[in-house]
Amino acid sequence: MENDLKTPEWVDSIIDNLAPCNLVEEIRGDLYELFLADVHTHGIRYARRRYILNRLAFLSKSFFWKKSTAANTNSFIMLKSYFKMASRSLSAYKGTAIVNVLGLVIGIASALVILTVIKFELSFDKFHTNADEIYRLVRVSGDDMSEFRTGISYPVPTALKEEIPSLHNIVSLEYMGGVNVDVLDRSGNSIQKFREEAGCALVEENFFQIFDFKDTDFKWIAGNPQKALVEPFNVILTQTLSKKYFGDENPVGQTLRFQKKYDCKITGVITDLPPNTDFPFTILISYSTLKALAGDNGLNDWFSVNDSHQTYLTLPAGTTQKEMEAGIARVHAAHTPAELHKSRHYLLQKLEDVHYDSRFGTLTRRTISKQTITALGIIAVFLLLTGSINYINLSTAQSSLRAKEIGLRKVMGSNRQNLILQFLTETFLLVLMAGVIALGLSEIILINLQSLLNLRMTGYNFTDPFILVSLITVVVVLTLFSGFYPSLTISRFNPITAIQNKFSTESVGGISLRKILVVVQFTITQMLVVGTFIVVSQMRYFRDVDMGFSKDAIITARISDLDPGKRQILEDQLRAQSFVSDVSFSFTLPSGVRRNRSFQDIGRSDASSMEDYRVFEYAAIDPNYLRLYDISLLAGRNLTMADTTGNILINKTLVKNLELGSPQDAVGAELKMGSQRVTVVGVVNDFYSNSLKEGVDNLVMLVREENFSTLNVKLNVTEETGSLQESVTKIEKIWSATYPDFIFSYQFFDENIQAFYAQEDKYARLFQLFSFIFLLIGSLGLYGLITFVVNRKGKEVAIRKVLGATLASILMMFSKEYVRLIILSFLLAVPVTYYVVNDWLSNFKNHIALKWWFFVIPGLLVLLIAVLVVTTKSLRAARANPVDMLKYE
Amino acid sequence: MPSRIYLGELEELVLLMVALLNTEAYGVSIAEQLKKQAGREISISAIHAVLHRLEEKGFVKSRMGGASQERGGRRKRLFSLTSYGRNALEELRDTRDIIWSLIAKASPSWKMI
Repeated sequence: MENDLKTPEWVDSIIDNLAPCNLVEEIRGDLYELFLADVHTHGIRYARRRYILNRLAFLSKSFFWKKSTAANTNSFIMLKSYFKMASRSLSAYKGTAIVNVLGLVIGIASALVILTVIKFELSFDKFHTNADEIYRLVRVSGDDMSEFRTGISYPVPTALKEEIPSLHNIVSLEYMGGVNVDVLDRSGNSIQKFREEAGCALVEENFFQIFDFKDTDFKWIAGNPQKALVEPFNVILTQTLSKKYFGDENPVGQTLRFQKKYDCKITGVITDLPPNTDFPFTILISYSTLKALAGDNGLNDWFSVNDSHQTYLTLPAGTTQKEMEAGIARVHAAHTPAELHKSRHYLLQKLEDVHYDSRFGTLTRRTISKQTITALGIIAVFLLLTGSINYINLSTAQSSLRAKEIGLRKVMGSNRQNLILQFLTETFLLVLMAGVIALGLSEIILINLQSLLNLRMTGYNFTDPFILVSLITVVVVLTLFSGFYPSLTISRFNPITAIQNKFSTESVGGISLRKILVVVQFTITQMLVVGTFIVVSQMRYFRDVDMGFSKDAIITARISDLDPGKRQILEDQLRAQSFVSDVSFSFTLPSGVRRNRSFQDIGRSDASSMEDYRVFEYAAIDPNYLRLYDISLLAGRNLTMADTTGNILINKTLVKNLELGSPQDAVGAELKMGSQRVTVVGVVNDFYSNSLKEGVDNLVMLVREENFSTLNVKLNVTEETGSLQESVTKIEKIWSATYPDFIFSYQFFDENIQAFYAQEDKYARLFQLFSFIFLLIGSLGLYGLITFVVNRKGKEVAIRKVLGATLASILMMFSKEYVRLIILSFLLAVPVTYYVVNDWLSNFKNHIALKWWFFVIPGLLVLLIAVLVVTTKSLRAARANPVDMLKYE
Repeated sequence: MPSRIYLGELEELVLLMVALLNTEAYGVSIAEQLKKQAGREISISAIHAVLHRLEEKGFVKSRMGGASQERGGRRKRLFSLTSYGRNALEELRDTRDIIWSLIAKASPSWKMI
């Protein structure tokens, strides 16, 4: 029964929300009493009805709408006054306000930029349905499990699908990257030629079922999603490419020819994939094409792997990652000999981790470690911190100027709470102003620094709710953080002493805190500046160190047509040019990113077991190669075109690893290379075929004309031969005459080498940027502080001068304290920086040795800047005529 | 002596009930008394409104009473007369008495009917 005596809740909640809060209780009480009475006399339904009517009747009563209480009105009026006072005091102390706003703007804007970057990096491939259940199959091999790769042997996914019945969602893809594309007309003639440098992939038909890009704007513009990728030689394009090839025509049904050979029919068009995916696909060819090309047995090799062949799967419900890995291992073991499946393991990696694990890499060739993201976050916090330290320092320093104002306010009846609120309002106004400017500034920075930040923007920060909410949070937190302490100190003033103006700058609360804050600020700055100095030194080392070959004025291009006759024509014509100093053909470049690489095993002639063999990189070269690249021959002779593949050059590292003795001893040695017997005719000096981050690989060079797929041209551009650009144009002309079917897509070799360090280069530039920002904010703060001190101590300086102080001693007086603080912060910064930088450098096989002056030089630089800021400002006070300062007394 | 006291009819009735109930005057009890003494059924919200007006005008004052079970644990707001309110009531009564006595004198025929 009791349970039935409930009043209708909806009406309660409506009324209670509308009613003035001090009346709610009695109204509800009275109504409930009546309700109970009604229940007894008329029954529950009647009571309910009357209850509702009664409640609603209150709405018509005028008192009911009077929300305000005395306290409320008062604080609202005060708020208005706070704002008025705040804007007045900000305009009264314009200089300080500008320094504060500038510091905060720079801090907040940089923090917003970093936040955008972090948000972008964290958003990679998060938008697929069940993204947390998708895994990438990866390959970890070596006895010590030290090789992390993504390539999966071709038969593996097929076998998994057949032999693990619960596994339904598994998709394989082969990333081709760059590709030649010809647009064909109806009769099959090529009407337009294109070269795409990236984006071509062969994917299975269920690719878009697993990766459905659900929370993006992705959609199929044309074609049937179920069927478009089923048949061999079918291809779908993204909108942008479709526009590029066909304009506004509907491309479905048209034919594209890939690599001058393979005709594929267009069966669909999709919107461009979002920038924050690690599947950078623009051309998607059906995976069955691969099978059609390779034949039935072509994809049956369990040994060879190819890192662009990748497999992804969704875990079936109820299966754990461990169970699935065990299942995969069983299938793998059933098909391969023990020596393979003992040293090669197929494991699963969460799709969520793909973007953050640099060991495996991604198809976009970009990863960012979670540590880097955290480091960026910390820098953002530091940036905000240093901006707000400026504010705290300046406002506490300045508070003595406002002592009279505070005193008078207190006399007129302000209590502490009022004063604190007023200062917080002031802080809020200032921070808000800074925040709004910073939002605009961050937009400009982002638009201009997209490539440096490795970011592709899709929208504007102004409209991004996440950024706006973050901005509001930042403003509120900064207001409280930087406003709280000054407002507490200021409101603490005793009105009588305040009005008598008995404060000197030193006695104002917070002088010791101010010192601490300056030290904190400059410790952060020093850490970054020292770190930057070392990172930049390491980058210079990467760039300038002798890699074992020359890399200047060389351009390279990939040759797709391997006809020797045409090659000879090309060479002859190039050599006839005055600006060409040498020409060479080879399988691959000596170094650089995105070059062909191929590995085999090699052993001494007495090698018997697997352990006696070494993995080496194979390079086909012509006799000009060593000369063109300036690779020195340590012993033996260079190769000639007459040397068949039986005669080889090897590098010093391989000599050492095969224990062939000195380079001279190695010449003439017989080696086993696969099933073939070869003779060493020469030994070349080691050069870095990888980046300097890694060591030197074993290397074998031989002449094999059918592999000459790279053109290397050494230029000798002088004033007589014309500009570099003209030379390249001429080469392109010669190229087009020889290979009319292929587009001349060249690269400067040194840029290719530099691309090794793209990531580090970006870090270095970011570091430079950040340390500049920190220095800027720190100097701003110092400038503000010293301006204030100089103004306050004008008279003291004047008296000192009258009594005979020199200019130098006065400058010393001002800068002494700051020099001390900055040296202290340097001492604090060094150990931390040493630890972090050492850790970073140890990532590289070749790195600079840390010397003491790597720390001292940037430290001195910061000190110099700080002293410069302090002295330029105090110089004016020191130079001033004492009479001007003292004549009012 | 304040010359003009304006009280509506309902206001006066409610004020009288407050006086009648002495320390136990609150919304519900006033509504009951109004029904019992004057035969008037006034909605609770109207009574609240009147009490509010009276408090604003200074005729009654209020305090929160103790919580009770039949109100679901909610407290009552108990009203009591201020001395100004008492004066006002007395004055109204006096004014009426005077007027009635005048009526009686001026038209004795009234009593005949």
